[in-house]
Amino acid sequence: MELDYLATVLLSSLSSASVLLIATVGLAIVFGLMGVINLAHGEFIMFGAYVALFATRNGVPFPLAVVLASVVTALFGAIVERAIIRHLYGRILDTLLATWGLSLVLYQSAVLIFGTVTPGVGMPQSNIEIGNYTLSTYLLFLILVAVVLIGLLYWLLTRTGYGIVARAAIQDPQTAATIGIESGRINTATFALGSGLAGFAGAILLPAFPATPSMGFAFVIKAFLAVVAAGPVTLSGTVVAGGALGSIASMTASFYTTVMGDVVFFLATITILRIFPLGISARWRLKL
Amino acid sequence: MRDRLKGTRMARAAAVVLALTMATGAWADDDVKVGAIFDLTGGLNIYGIQQSQALHLAVDSINAGGGVLGNQITVIENDAQSDLAKYTQYTNTLILRDQIDVLFAGLTSSSREAIRPIVRQKKVPYFYSALYEGGACDKQTFITGASASQQLSVLIDWAVKEYGPRIYIMAPDYNFGTISAHWVEYYAEQFGAEVLGADFLPLTVTDYSPTIQKIQGANPDFVVALPVGANQTGFLEQFAAAGLKDKMGIVSTNYGSGNQQVVVSPDAGEGIVASQEYFMWIDEPNNEPFMARWEEAYGLDEPIISEAADVWNAVHIWAAAVEIAGSTDNDAVIAALEGGVSFEGPNGTVSMQPGSHHLRQNIYIVRGNREHAFDVIQKFEYVVPSFEDEVCDLIANPDTAEHFVP
Repeated sequence: MELDYLATVLLSSLSSASVLLIATVGLAIVFGLMGVINLAHGEFIMFGAYVALFATRNGVPFPLAVVLASVVTALFGAIVERAIIRHLYGRILDTLLATWGLSLVLYQSAVLIFGTVTPGVGMPQSNIEIGNYTLSTYLLFLILVAVVLIGLLYWLLTRTGYGIVARAAIQDPQTAATIGIESGRINTATFALGSGLAGFAGAILLPAFPATPSMGFAFVIKAFLAVVAAGPVTLSGTVVAGGALGSIASMTASFYTTVMGDVVFFLATITILRIFPLGISARWRLKL
Repeated sequence: MRDRLKGTRMARAAAVVLALTMATGAWADDDVKVGAIFDLTGGLNIYGIQQSQALHLAVDSINAGGGVLGNQITVIENDAQSDLAKYTQYTNTLILRDQIDVLFAGLTSSSREAIRPIVRQKKVPYFYSALYEGGACDKQTFITGASASQQLSVLIDWAVKEYGPRIYIMAPDYNFGTISAHWVEYYAEQFGAEVLGADFLPLTVTDYSPTIQKIQGANPDFVVALPVGANQTGFLEQFAAAGLKDKMGIVSTNYGSGNQQVVVSPDAGEGIVASQEYFMWIDEPNNEPFMARWEEAYGLDEPIISEAADVWNAVHIWAAAVEIAGSTDNDAVIAALEGGVSFEGPNGTVSMQPGSHHLRQNIYIVRGNREHAFDVIQKFEYVVPSFEDEVCDLIANPDTAEHFVP
């Protein structure tokens, strides 16, 4: 095995893991901090992708379009929380059903509004050469995006007033309410944050993964598995589980076949859950 | 509140009942009934909507000309919702309840395989209109899309001459992909080329980097890429962004069949070579009136896909067979179809091969340009479905019911 191939595989498996993390982290936040399983997460990603797509096509520069997509999807998430999720707290199955219904509605709306195909944005045609191999610069850039994103989230949830209040509200709702934390508003904000992250994912991934009404489906299966494997420590758990699963699967796919990569992803998830039934982070001391 | 809810529910139920009775009461008894099942919603509607539109356009054009045997045609349509189980259910309903005379349905090979035994047992002619891996052989089933051997025989020959003899295959991980890959290997050998490797991708995979690395490792002269659905167009974006398009060719039998050329960016789409039985940009005498008709009915914001032309041809071939048979009776229509029916379609002359129930038709090789469209490079006239003609003879062996694989 040549050194240049190994280096490319290493870098690209890191980028694959980053793509998975970017697509997963919104789901993890909503699940970890609110106990809500949002089955429409994939469609929120799609929502963000279309917002970014239409902003770019109307002359908005791409970086600004990403910000716009995150904000618009977050606002949409806030509305969804107020209109639907709020009424179903503590009823996991009902939430599942409601968000699944929402995903169908969003999917079909996208088809009706945009049709089944819409011209994409396209990736920057630049790449980095490593020996005989080339890697797309944009996919490498996504590694940086994932690192910064996780860093910012960690800061937001540990160092800001909102973050501390949000975690207090979920760890001990009664005490939190007693000292005057209004859990309703916090939940709206948290769901909006999770939605905004999904919107961000759709937008930032748009150049490499063109916007189509069904795009959410492709991301959401592995995102769910990563969250389940992660367990109770939301952020660090997701980084470890998502990062490990994503890069192991990608490396397997590089050395064997893509089908094997998928098989290993699922096998690894099953193994993790056999050893740690509550997720990889079940016994961690970390709180986030 | 509860009462009001109940009231609206009742009203809704009444409306549904009314709509159903109106729908069933709308046709006269001597109308000819055409059944249709396509994926109007769900992930496959990228194809299904246009298949349905083409069916209605064809039926309207036949009705405007006086119908078949002097009777108007009525369409009874169901939405399969991209759900395989619905195909079985609706095929049964259409045949047993609505007593259709002919069925036009399906996109995926699995949907066709779900329908095939039912129409066989109930004796209703069935038309399947999509490009596919080839090999389906059944008395009731007629296929108007191109088969893999039809497309790949000309495409691989062309690509080996254009780019060179070293091939890599990227294909979806189900029967369309694996059987197509087999055909690539078959024709590679025939034209003195070599398949260096193949990677099969499950439809839910979004991580294309490993495939792209393996392609770079193998360093082929060209890649046969068979991305299914719009999601897998991400592969084409990443292929271009890694700079591979400057180093090797990329050819496909199904790129464009779901308007993928619209989704990919000009940088990624330019230069991708595809081969199919129909593209909107071909220069055929009947294509212009077909497109004008389509534009009037649906507009041309979304380019017309090959499956739409396949359905258009299927309806007209069936109507011609009914006229020849003088009846919509199953045995008479099949006998007429096996007598050899030709039709001047938007893609030139197409003829039903009597023995194999597949269509002899033109295959076009096109190249993607920067305008989300294609330029025609070469036209192969009247290509025979050679594999199907070889293994499948339903006149000599009418009881064959098989899906032949090479």
